[in-house]
Amino acid sequence: MDELLNDVVPQEDLEKFEKKYHHELELDGEVTTETKFEYAFCLVRSRYTNDIKKGIMILEELARTHPDGRRDYIYYLAFGNARIKEYTSGLKYCRAFLDIESNDQVRSLEEYIKKQSDKEIAKGMAVAGGAALVLGGILGLGIAMARNKPKREK
Amino acid sequence: MADRAIKLLVIGESGVGKSSLIRRFVENKFDDNHDVTIGMDFKSKVMNVDGIDYKVALWDTAGAERFRSLTPSFYRKALGAILVYDITSRDSLVKLETWLAELDSYSDNPNIAIIVVGNKIDQEREVDREEGRKFARKHRALFIETSAKCDQFVSDVFKDIVEKIVSSEYFNNGNGSTGMDIGGDRDLEGSASSCYC
Repeated sequence: MDELLNDVVPQEDLEKFEKKYHHELELDGEVTTETKFEYAFCLVRSRYTNDIKKGIMILEELARTHPDGRRDYIYYLAFGNARIKEYTSGLKYCRAFLDIESNDQVRSLEEYIKKQSDKEIAKGMAVAGGAALVLGGILGLGIAMARNKPKREK
Repeated sequence: MADRAIKLLVIGESGVGKSSLIRRFVENKFDDNHDVTIGMDFKSKVMNVDGIDYKVALWDTAGAERFRSLTPSFYRKALGAILVYDITSRDSLVKLETWLAELDSYSDNPNIAIIVVGNKIDQEREVDREEGRKFARKHRALFIETSAKCDQFVSDVFKDIVEKIVSSEYFNNGNGSTGMDIGGDRDLEGSASSCYC
């Protein structure tokens, strides 16, 4: 799953579909569903958080306006949210998908997000625990030094 | 140690069993429901060939039309392609021509290894084994028939293509283990084409 989420869209793909999107917008004043999806599919696989967020916005709009492709949009909404570590939203979309349709691919993503989210929580606790350890270490060192002092003076 | 990675693509029409073959191979599971793949999926497995571990990265593509324009970037750096058709649908074999053309135009590896896989031999066939083999031979590809459902010859698909890749003179910049090609249209003559399960 890491490989899938870490796979970054080639820059030329992103640029190609970005151009197509803006071209339609300027020429026709609106963008076709297909082009919107192509652009969003590239954006959510970008290396940059802002791109991913933009992709998520487009997909949210598509999910509202184009029910036919909803499963694709919901999957990539979960996918995009997982990539920017918005695990709560990611899980929400996975569940929304699995409520309608059983799917191995979405189940794997859901499991992955759950694991990552648990890891984050554990990391948070480790940081807090680590801080306590460091503090304890300093205190311990202070005590040890205070105890050692008289010895050295002897 | 499995730091030698081999990227394989799995392509073909929607519903022929691409994900099922991967699932059977990696997890040894099969589900009668057709879970339609969205965009791209990924699974990997470590395979040992001649004492060396290879991490085989399997990129599963959606057969659905709407992803056609979006998946070419996944063709890059692939060392092998698994082209799947369904032996109960002649159309799915005919359409492999289009998939081969896609592969031809988007792959950056002129020596990409190809295997043609006729899946669903547990069902009533519409495509003769010979037709599939002819198609494979025409495109200098390996050929095999399988059943993901009954787990027949599924692991052979991956074994055959990985062996072909690692024995190729192009693998590892020409430092392949033997430098010997095992031949373009090696076929498992003995493969049974019916399945009792």
